Amino acid sequence: MIVCERKPFEEIKEMMKGIRKVLNVGCGGCTSICMAGGQREVGILNEELQNAFKQDGASFHVDGFTIERQCNADFFQELDVIASSYEALLSMACGAGVQFLADRYPQKPVFPALNTVFVGVDRDIGWFEESCRTCRECVLGETAGICPVTRCAKSLFNGPCGGTAQEGKCEVSKDTPCAWFEIYKRLKDQNRLENILKVKPAREWRNQTQGTLVQEAYKKRYAK
Amino acid sequence: MENSKLGQEMKPVDVKKIKEMLNLKKGKMKRYLSHCAHCSLCAESCFLYMAHHKDPQYMPAYKAIHSLGTLYKKKGKVDRKLLTKMKGIVWRNCVLCGRCYCPIGIHIPSMITFARSILRSQEVYPQPDEVSAESWL
Repeated sequence: MIVCERKPFEEIKEMMKGIRKVLNVGCGGCTSICMAGGQREVGILNEELQNAFKQDGASFHVDGFTIERQCNADFFQELDVIASSYEALLSMACGAGVQFLADRYPQKPVFPALNTVFVGVDRDIGWFEESCRTCRECVLGETAGICPVTRCAKSLFNGPCGGTAQEGKCEVSKDTPCAWFEIYKRLKDQNRLENILKVKPAREWRNQTQGTLVQEAYKKRYAK
Repeated sequence: MENSKLGQEMKPVDVKKIKEMLNLKKGKMKRYLSHCAHCSLCAESCFLYMAHHKDPQYMPAYKAIHSLGTLYKKKGKVDRKLLTKMKGIVWRNCVLCGRCYCPIGIHIPSMITFARSILRSQEVYPQPDEVSAESWL
């Protein structure tokens, strides 16, 4: 799941300055689940904004509308009907959703209300943990299901480095477990320690242009 | 058109608002509902239906008929209890993956999406503090 957090209120308010009528668009997907940009959060932010501008004596009106997903054109139909009557749009989706919204309404200023933080897992209600950097070269099969790119401070493919402190902590902080120490322990438990001796070639970092993926079965359909 | 005011959970259902929304897409949605031949071909394209041992509640057609279909049938005159039941159908029983297949071209995800919109307009949507999604049904 994509995990987001709300931007500081003052930053959002600053973006809204000079706009009199804005529609805050919530997302019913990941940002609802991570409690950052669903219908509930849209309502909370709108009240805060309305009150803040009222106190400043500024003319400002904000409405809310939550669509099921801001990353899929199929869900924009109802928004199309109402978006035109607003000066600007505020999006409570992830960065992908904000861009999709801006592409859909290119004449309108679109502002992000959230910061997209990471791809992660739910540890508990309201507790999320980063677990993938979407590096496009997954090595989890060799590292016992522990991602060295995400969990090692240096994103080392061949570890550990010399900075592994006592009890398997990372040199950057005694509270941070060394990813490669964790990998070592799990591989040992699985009798797969030979994996750690394999030297992995350097990652193709230069290949960081915008990604597009068409699944094999659909390649014919989208062929140009 | 606002669907996100706080603290409206206990307010009476705004039937007028639901009727207005239903009327907006009446032609298309009622056509979809009446064209369903109950062939059940959509069922096996739904991974939730398959994962739940072919429980009919998870059939895409069932989900559309028992949410949006019910709203049209009752002309929007529904109570909060029924809306809460529909919440389970359109959120818990459907993830809107859009993979359901209808041989006559009924777009089931748009029906479920529309039902969700109507529920959202009445402040009925999944809450993070709900004990269990199972309790919706």
